[in-house]
Amino acid sequence: MSKITKSSTAEYFAKNLQQVGFSSPLKAVLTTLKEAVDNSLDACEGAEILPELEIEVKKVGIGSTKNTDLIKIVVEDNGPGIDADDLAKVFGEYLASSKFGRGQCSRGQQGIGISAATTWAQMTNAKGVQVISKTKSMKKAVSAQVDVDIKTNTGIVRNKTTLDWKKTNGTRVEFLMDGRIQMNGDGGLLTYIDGTVLVNPHLTVTHKMGDNEKTTVERVSNDSPEIPEATLPHPHTFKLGEFITHSHLYGKISLSKFLKTGFSRISDQSIKDFVKNGLPKNLVEKTITTMNEEDFKKAFQAVQATELMAPSTKSVLTVGEDSLSKSINRLGEVDFFSVMTRKPTICDFKPVVVEVALARFINRGSEGEPVQLLRFANRVPLQFDKSGCAITWAIESVNWKSYGLSQPKDSLPQGPYVFAVSIVSPFIKFKNASKETIDASDELVEEIRRALMQAGQKLSRHIKHEMKEADLERKLAHIEQFGPILVEKLVSISGANASRKKKAEEGLRKILGRDSDDAVNQLEEAQTKLAAQKQKEAKKMSSADEADKGSQ
Amino acid sequence: MALIKVRELRLDIPKEAKNLAEKMLSDLEKSKRPYLEAVKTSLDNSNYNSKVGYLTPGEKMVRTELNVSSVQKLARVVFMLEILLRNLDIGAVNTKRELYYICKGLIKGDGKYKPLDFEDQDESDGIIDFIGDMLEVYREELNCYANDRGGQTYSQQLVVTETLPDGDKANVDLSTLGTTPFQPKNRPQSLKLKAKKKIDFCLVVESEGTAGTLQSMGFTKRNNCILMGAQGVPSNGVRGWCKLIENQLDVPMYFFGDLDAYTMQNIFRTLKAGSAASLIRNGDFSAPNVRFLGVLPGDVKKYDLPHYKVKESDPAEARQLKKAKDALENDPFFRDKKNKELSDILRWLIKEKIRCEQQSYFSVDPRDPIKTEKIILEKIRRGDYV
Ligand SMILES: Nc1ncnc2c1ncn2[C@@H]1O[C@H](COP(=O)(O)OP(=O)(O)OP(=O)(O)O)[C@@H](O)[C@H]1O
Ligand SMILES: [Mg+2]
Repeated sequence: MSKITKSSTAEYFAKNLQQVGFSSPLKAVLTTLKEAVDNSLDACEGAEILPELEIEVKKVGIGSTKNTDLIKIVVEDNGPGIDADDLAKVFGEYLASSKFGRGQCSRGQQGIGISAATTWAQMTNAKGVQVISKTKSMKKAVSAQVDVDIKTNTGIVRNKTTLDWKKTNGTRVEFLMDGRIQMNGDGGLLTYIDGTVLVNPHLTVTHKMGDNEKTTVERVSNDSPEIPEATLPHPHTFKLGEFITHSHLYGKISLSKFLKTGFSRISDQSIKDFVKNGLPKNLVEKTITTMNEEDFKKAFQAVQATELMAPSTKSVLTVGEDSLSKSINRLGEVDFFSVMTRKPTICDFKPVVVEVALARFINRGSEGEPVQLLRFANRVPLQFDKSGCAITWAIESVNWKSYGLSQPKDSLPQGPYVFAVSIVSPFIKFKNASKETIDASDELVEEIRRALMQAGQKLSRHIKHEMKEADLERKLAHIEQFGPILVEKLVSISGANASRKKKAEEGLRKILGRDSDDAVNQLEEAQTKLAAQKQKEAKKMSSADEADKGSQ
Repeated sequence: MALIKVRELRLDIPKEAKNLAEKMLSDLEKSKRPYLEAVKTSLDNSNYNSKVGYLTPGEKMVRTELNVSSVQKLARVVFMLEILLRNLDIGAVNTKRELYYICKGLIKGDGKYKPLDFEDQDESDGIIDFIGDMLEVYREELNCYANDRGGQTYSQQLVVTETLPDGDKANVDLSTLGTTPFQPKNRPQSLKLKAKKKIDFCLVVESEGTAGTLQSMGFTKRNNCILMGAQGVPSNGVRGWCKLIENQLDVPMYFFGDLDAYTMQNIFRTLKAGSAASLIRNGDFSAPNVRFLGVLPGDVKKYDLPHYKVKESDPAEARQLKKAKDALENDPFFRDKKNKELSDILRWLIKEKIRCEQQSYFSVDPRDPIKTEKIILEKIRRGDYV
């Protein structure tokens, strides 16, 4: 990547916008919204501010290209704001990021997102992004239009003015671009909002989407997520090419220094072990800028051949079962649910944590339809190309029938459920540059599967209870309806008298009474189990409540 | 009214039914769970012995014991049983479909029976079949007959005497019917057969249309024979009729139909040895001496018959092939050494994946209107059948 010169970078992305999420009018709108919201949430988290977002997406006219509308997208946050001098860089320059390569679980990673949105707006509507921003230290807010100079990859700031703003700090971005609005379904705007709301319990958001009414969703947690310390990548996750590229970030230092500072889990002892495993001694102190590909290859092979400590899992963050439990109620009227946060673990030498929330809703989805799947990577909803995603693979590989759900062969289960699966890792491997599907390695799929199965078990207690209840009702009704007919007909065929009839009726009641007693007992047993689980769940909710109060 | 009996039944159905109800009632009085038992009618409970000639039931029984789940079925069984007993008593006869509507009428007339209501005829049919299997009696013995289907018969020698329910006799000389077929009622057992002249053979043709064509071309004029159309899978009527011909006339019987897995398993096997679903009645509803005249695999080559590749993409055809494989493994009829030549045909069909229709004989020499007849006669003469 370092081969790309600064000047050609913008040109490259302008030509390849489809690679970063601008491949259709629908996606253009969703991607722009997503990039802006991601940035706002990242910024708030970085400044430990509880985010309050205002979002508007609206059709304002006809687009300049075929089959498109002119769409206005506004995202306003209460984050730390952006210095006036940084506006050009942030919105008009590619690969300008405060998060690049930090090894943190932030939503943004590359410094591409918002500049790509600016480019799309500029290409389709001749104007980049309209920004208002204010930091606490600024007296007045700054307002400007930022365009991308595609030839030089620099931002151009136009019509810069200052103004009095209602906020002490925050950023407001407004885009006008060609696009189309889709509300529901996998790629829908509301689906995006639902997902974002679910995994950000600390978020309050007011949104006005198309012709829908303006809606406010309040936060259910007052804790700003603690962003864990950054971690360096583990050398065993690298391929040779990436290894060489990574070295370019470190300039003129020795190989041993590069290995120790550029990666986690490499100590002086490890360097000695590398030598034992074939690293030529003369390379150890060689300056990396003078190494040729052959040298890198030798170094790389020695590193791969050496056993190293597994990476630390400290760098991952979770939403947490308590917060998920509360947050899920913001998506609609929940009938019952189960959540599962796995312990952080290592998959493919990268720290990851998997979280799952399964909920049955009273007012969304229906029995015969597949469950609604919400996928997340570092708390960003993934909304396209679900069939190739590790999460989808894991869900389809679980036998949901054993938990009482219906499931066609090798497919998603069915019913009015939301299945939310979140993967958090500082080094998520995506299948493509537009970050839409998580690469399905065996280890990762297995880890997700485990989380799903544990959540499924908890869920099944609710489901089985419901089924038993319905079953009992049916059985009790059966006895009342069919018992008397059976006796009546037996009496009539055998020609028995009234006293025998009475006796038989009593006998029948006894037999079927035993059966229904059994059924009642089974139901009670299921009820006790469920009550125990509910108590646990309630405890979680209330402990989360208390934690909230404590921080207020 | 005395109906003509299907067989010499050792069983007094009303008495048997009364005993059964008595037993269930007294179980109930003792707070014991009453139960019903019936022969398990499935292939895994079917035996075949070539000396007997048809599929007979094994030891397995299905037992329905009273509990909260089965109380509905038991109530339905006794409800239907009462209707059938009354029919027997007054000499009324009904089809399954009529019984379905009789039940619906009774249920509609009395609110307390409402929970018994049948959603479709399959449900009431199942109950009727269960009662037959349970009492080990034929459906016909419960005065329940299916609609007449198949068995269209032509002959210049055959005379049929039918004993009517009122004891009167009717004589039908088939030679007087021209191209109109005689069709046995679903109670062929009430018929008496006589040959005016020696009958050389009986030919059962799968397609009743093809039987009709052969007849109009003068088949029975030129041959001392019985010519019959089966009309697909033989009904009880056709099966009983063939049994009767076999018993009363002692003439060789040949079957002529398509060369495919469906015909072999569903039509020919049922005609010759009965079916798993009718285990308790195969004895009177199968003709074990019938031979498979064609279309034989060898005929395809010999007469250069037009044939088709079985489309495995067609689910119905694929199912037939799969069923054929199953039959080779699980059907005691096809597993019996005596029927090796028949199972060889199945194996050939599975391997070659082709099918050839009975009508393909008509293509052998289109200028000769009776070529099909000639081939059939030649095959009979030369013993070219299985
Ligand atoms: N609303 C905002 N408030 C404060 N700072 C912001 C805001 N939006 C963007 N920034 C700053 O601008 C930088 C560039 O944003 P951009 O979206 O281009 O890249 P990124 O978020 O780092 O990575 P990605 O390409 O994965 O989105 C961010 O790293 C952040 O420092
Ligand atoms: Mg970003």
